[in-house]
Amino acid sequence: MNKPDTSLWDKQRNKIISKKGGWFVGDGVYCHGYNMMDELVGKVSYMQVVMLNATGRLPKRPVADWFEAVHICLSWPDSRIWCNHIGALGGTMRASAVASTVAGVLATDSRSYGIKPLKEGVAFIQAAMVALKGELSVDEIVVNECEKHGGKPYIMGYARPIAKGDERVPAMELVAKNLGFSVGEHLKLAYEIDRILLAQFNEGMNINGYMSAFLSDLHFTSEEVYRICATLVASGVSACYVDMRDRPAETFLPLKCDDIDFQGKPHRTL
Amino acid sequence: MEVRKHQKVTSRNDVFADKITTRIWEEVPSENNPYIASNNRCHGYDLIELMQQKSYVDMFYLLFRGNLPSLDERQLLEQLMVGLINPGPRHPATRAAMNAGVGKSDPQNILPISLTIMGGEYLGAGAVEGAMRFMRKHRRENPVETADAMLTELAEQRPKEGDWHIAPGFGSHFGGVDLMPSKLAAVLARLPASGSMLDWGMGFSSALNKKEIGWLTVGVAAAVFADLGFHPRYGAGLFQLLCAPGLLAHGMEQANKPITAMPFVSDKAYVIDYE
Repeated sequence: MNKPDTSLWDKQRNKIISKKGGWFVGDGVYCHGYNMMDELVGKVSYMQVVMLNATGRLPKRPVADWFEAVHICLSWPDSRIWCNHIGALGGTMRASAVASTVAGVLATDSRSYGIKPLKEGVAFIQAAMVALKGELSVDEIVVNECEKHGGKPYIMGYARPIAKGDERVPAMELVAKNLGFSVGEHLKLAYEIDRILLAQFNEGMNINGYMSAFLSDLHFTSEEVYRICATLVASGVSACYVDMRDRPAETFLPLKCDDIDFQGKPHRTL
Repeated sequence: MEVRKHQKVTSRNDVFADKITTRIWEEVPSENNPYIASNNRCHGYDLIELMQQKSYVDMFYLLFRGNLPSLDERQLLEQLMVGLINPGPRHPATRAAMNAGVGKSDPQNILPISLTIMGGEYLGAGAVEGAMRFMRKHRRENPVETADAMLTELAEQRPKEGDWHIAPGFGSHFGGVDLMPSKLAAVLARLPASGSMLDWGMGFSSALNKKEIGWLTVGVAAAVFADLGFHPRYGAGLFQLLCAPGLLAHGMEQANKPITAMPFVSDKAYVIDYE
């Protein structure tokens, strides 16, 4: 056996080559080419810096303001929501605010809700746009997508779970309008899909579908959206944590022994 | 902007369960307080009896599989548990634990921090399910023929730099064959409870060795989990559980030291290169 080439790793030992920035004591703090104290602090919004760190590009303020608004839309203080529920459980058993909030955020790496479906939503609308430009009609795109799910309208970004309709879409449409954004080709396509699904299935576009199309018009990739939104639910989780942390311990949905329905093997001896 | 009519928001009235159900654990309420259990049972066995008569490995297997292991199954699981107990101080997950420790993070956060990193798809728990599914899919094939075919068909996918994981659970490590996983697998494969997955993986790994590729630790764990009958979706969590003791031990070892006890890369060795 030949001696393996380890030069890739040898070159990286005891050194960090950052493409992002760093702190040089007595000199300054640098972030993607900006001097943080002189060029960013007090001059741009926090969300602009979040996006700079997630994508490597400093966005214009309206884009960051739109993202900030969508963070408000997608995290609310209802402890029935799965990630928030985890925060509340952290509060009731006196875990720290940091641990509980992070635990709730971690839960949103989920196939069912949270941030990961956003990746799928962006991927869908961008693929649909490619199909449209490849001369498929919107009707054909919808039929093809529904066929993958046994004829049902299970398209990521449409047919919201738990409820029909989505109050967050008109809220974000108003935000976009006030910030001066127009409707781009992806959003036009999303509205057309929405119209077809409403007519055929009484199912419409949800906030995922709206976000995915809007951000595709701004040329974000699905991975960039995922990275920007990594802590999307943090504030709602924190709220639910605080609610229970400030009450007597173990009072969040307490369970009697009989509240658990045991369906396993009856008592047996070793 | 076009004025659109929005669908009215209405509940779907989904029917959710009234109660949490479980087949694993029964808590028998005490007479005076319905919140206090007087007995706990795991898959029907009384916890106190289990404590007195069974080993931790027996209990571990019972918890997940619903029945106690045979002597052979216990031996295989126990030897894997020993083999995986510490990813070692160079593993990124262990380094996360040590970093949390020396940084004086709350001790109760050291394990969650390091286990989160251990969830990674590269040499971490995130690779185990894929490895289990890969071996299940190919187990009826001749492993040498499968290896040769993959080496030929996927040759162009080998990255120009860095390691190549030709299949989940199998690849190069630091440019060569990782020796410890192969040693672990060789020992485990000789045990009576070792089954078709470990056997197939041994053949597949050996056939890959000529290209500086072999077993990865996650692959060995995946093969044993599969041979013991665990479903692939359990693989990630089981791997995290088995590696957890080493992560915590290394994290706590650093927690008692000053913050200067671990290297902090000097400004001279810290280079910003935006290109």
